[in-house]
Amino acid sequence: MMPDFDQSGLPQTKEWTPEPKAPVILLENVSKTYGRIHALTGITLALSGGVTGILGMNGAGKSTLFKILMGKIKPSSGQVRLFGTNPWKNPAPYARVGFVPEHEKMYDWMTAHDFISTFARLNGLTRDEAKIEADRVLDFVGLLDVAHKQIGRFSKGMRQRTKIAHALVNDPELIILDEPLQGCDPLARTTIMNVIRELGRMGRTVIVSSHILHEIERITEQIVILHYGRLLALGNLHAIRERLDKIPHRIDIGTENPKALAKSIIEIDSVHGIFFPEGENLSIQTHNLGSFHSELPKAIIESGQRVESIDNPDDDLESILGYLTGGGRL
Amino acid sequence: MATKPDTIFRALDRKAAAVTEFTMRQYRTKLSTWVVLIAGFLIISLLLLFYIDGMQKEYESIDNDGDSSDWDNDGYPTGQERLYGTDPYSPDFHPGLLDPPIEPDPPEKWIDEDDFDWDSSPGAGQTISVGHDDDGDCNRDDRTDSQKDTNDNNIPCDIALEGPQLGMDESGFDIDADNFVDEDPDDAAYAKEAIHRASILAIGKLGFVFIIGIFVPLFLATGLIRDEMSSGTMHYMLSKPIARTEVFLYRILGYLGIVWPYLAILVFISAIVTGLAGPGDSFFRFSEFGIWLSVLFAAMLATLVYGMLFCFFGVLWRYGVILAIPFAAWELGMALLSMGMPDAAILRFSIIGWALTIIDSAAMLVWPDIDLFIQMGLWGGGGDGTGLFGSSIEGAAPLSYFSSKPGLGGAGPFVSMLISTVVLLVQAATLWLVGGLLFKGKEIE
Repeated sequence: MMPDFDQSGLPQTKEWTPEPKAPVILLENVSKTYGRIHALTGITLALSGGVTGILGMNGAGKSTLFKILMGKIKPSSGQVRLFGTNPWKNPAPYARVGFVPEHEKMYDWMTAHDFISTFARLNGLTRDEAKIEADRVLDFVGLLDVAHKQIGRFSKGMRQRTKIAHALVNDPELIILDEPLQGCDPLARTTIMNVIRELGRMGRTVIVSSHILHEIERITEQIVILHYGRLLALGNLHAIRERLDKIPHRIDIGTENPKALAKSIIEIDSVHGIFFPEGENLSIQTHNLGSFHSELPKAIIESGQRVESIDNPDDDLESILGYLTGGGRL
Repeated sequence: MATKPDTIFRALDRKAAAVTEFTMRQYRTKLSTWVVLIAGFLIISLLLLFYIDGMQKEYESIDNDGDSSDWDNDGYPTGQERLYGTDPYSPDFHPGLLDPPIEPDPPEKWIDEDDFDWDSSPGAGQTISVGHDDDGDCNRDDRTDSQKDTNDNNIPCDIALEGPQLGMDESGFDIDADNFVDEDPDDAAYAKEAIHRASILAIGKLGFVFIIGIFVPLFLATGLIRDEMSSGTMHYMLSKPIARTEVFLYRILGYLGIVWPYLAILVFISAIVTGLAGPGDSFFRFSEFGIWLSVLFAAMLATLVYGMLFCFFGVLWRYGVILAIPFAAWELGMALLSMGMPDAAILRFSIIGWALTIIDSAAMLVWPDIDLFIQMGLWGGGGDGTGLFGSSIEGAAPLSYFSSKPGLGGAGPFVSMLISTVVLLVQAATLWLVGGLLFKGKEIE
């Protein structure tokens, strides 16, 4: 057998066939322990199609879950199936998977195009096919104009987009993104979110992790919440939010004259308490967040005061986690 | 573009080519690669400078039999007086008084006047007759037949040469010479040739197979997998449909893609230097390309096996270099042992022992006379012990040290070379398998 030196054969991307009707991702009672530390405990999950946000604080087990899915680490117990195949034993399913690792280290000496086309060849593409593919995915993430610049000179956001582009080679059916928005500037954030939403519209199965609720909220409604290695909630974010609205919330408003503003805010029905924590600040308690937000603008206009900031400190992951676990600050 | 049939090999080729190319490019961007390669180049250059210095040196021609001296101050050296039968100790008798008178020879003519005439080598247990009395001091008319045959082999003025005993490890010859035969060899010529050969073996064995062969893989191969695992960049490679044992192998191929051409260049430079600077009438010693080729081959196999081993150490432990250092010490011990005791069974448990066998085998092929050459130098004409090593000529002892008989029983050089090559390849394949399996079971954080 002569080696394929001129690399002119057909691409070898379709050798492996997934099991028909198997879910893209299937985890059955998966646990991972490091000594006495339980990184994941009894995760059972099946996902196919659409964008799913994996939400959890740092150390909740998001990365561990992804590494198990990508066959980087072996689950201590339980079954993992990627397109019906055990990824720890067989790397073949990765022909249909794109993975964006959380690690920041990249090959800084390569150009983006180089990096993507080199690794595209590991999918069985020829040299020429890999170059065409690199152009396609770089265009998709909006980096085509800097494709031949060194990754080392890229901003954080461009690096993240390069990593995403690299994962999109060979048009995978499943894309896993580990904290793709971390450290990005607002513009890059928006671009990346658009890319992820676009992938979802294209019918791909996308899994994206974050520890920031409103990031996930802007991308998808389908969420999985991990907390200390356990699967805490699974479902539609709005359903969870609606239930959250019914419980007391705190809203901080920054203004030059808190007392004048308080006078008109106290008129709102859903408000059941106002505090003045610091000089130019107003802290309001409400038990119906939805109705408060709809009446707040009117009250501000009536008071004639200038409002510098409206902050909703409870509307974050910790509050949701606190509520879901029955404790917390609320 | 012609379309080739699709086979699983085509896919493997593409992945192999991609990882290999990537690895080679990655090496080029690392400063450490250049530091290691330049350091290796400097070490070999230094060894070559020592060699050139050795070749430039004038070796003193010793008058091993003392017959260039004119004891009676009559102007005729002792050798010439003996030749004409005059008394070397009486100024009243000398060849100038003969009819017709003989002009006195310059004393230099009686230095190195009876060189080695050993044209064949005895087989094991065999005794043959070699040597020729070039200066006629053994065959003088005034000597009796028994004086001419002091070794009692019934051949006057010869040397009885007995090969090593059958079935014995001892490689030394038994040399029994008639008096005044080959007793004043050309020390300078012998020393130059012996030091030339000893240098080639020393540079090849210690310079290339040991120093380059261990330290280049130590610095370049240990991090092949480990560095990527530590920095997290291994995720990019392992997120593709490629088995980890494949990654292990292709990374090694990339490492060899840098190291093998580098070795070829260094060996080629060495071959040019020793070919030009070596002794002899010809402009260039072409025949010695053979031994340099074997040095290259042995060093290539050594860097392959060591590369697999050190890469495996790197996967095994974050500080794999620490595991490699005692191993390098062991291999140095084995290298030195193989030169003194090439038959030692413990050498079978080393890598370098097998690699050096390849060079020893080639030395036997390129220099078929090497045993005889060493033995005649160690014997050195049986002279009066002016040399550093008894009566032996300068250069004989180092050559004897650096050259060994391939220690594979009675196997000939070709068979020894073949066996050693196969063993080294099996070692490499085993280490790949072990390293690949270990890597496969490793959790990548």
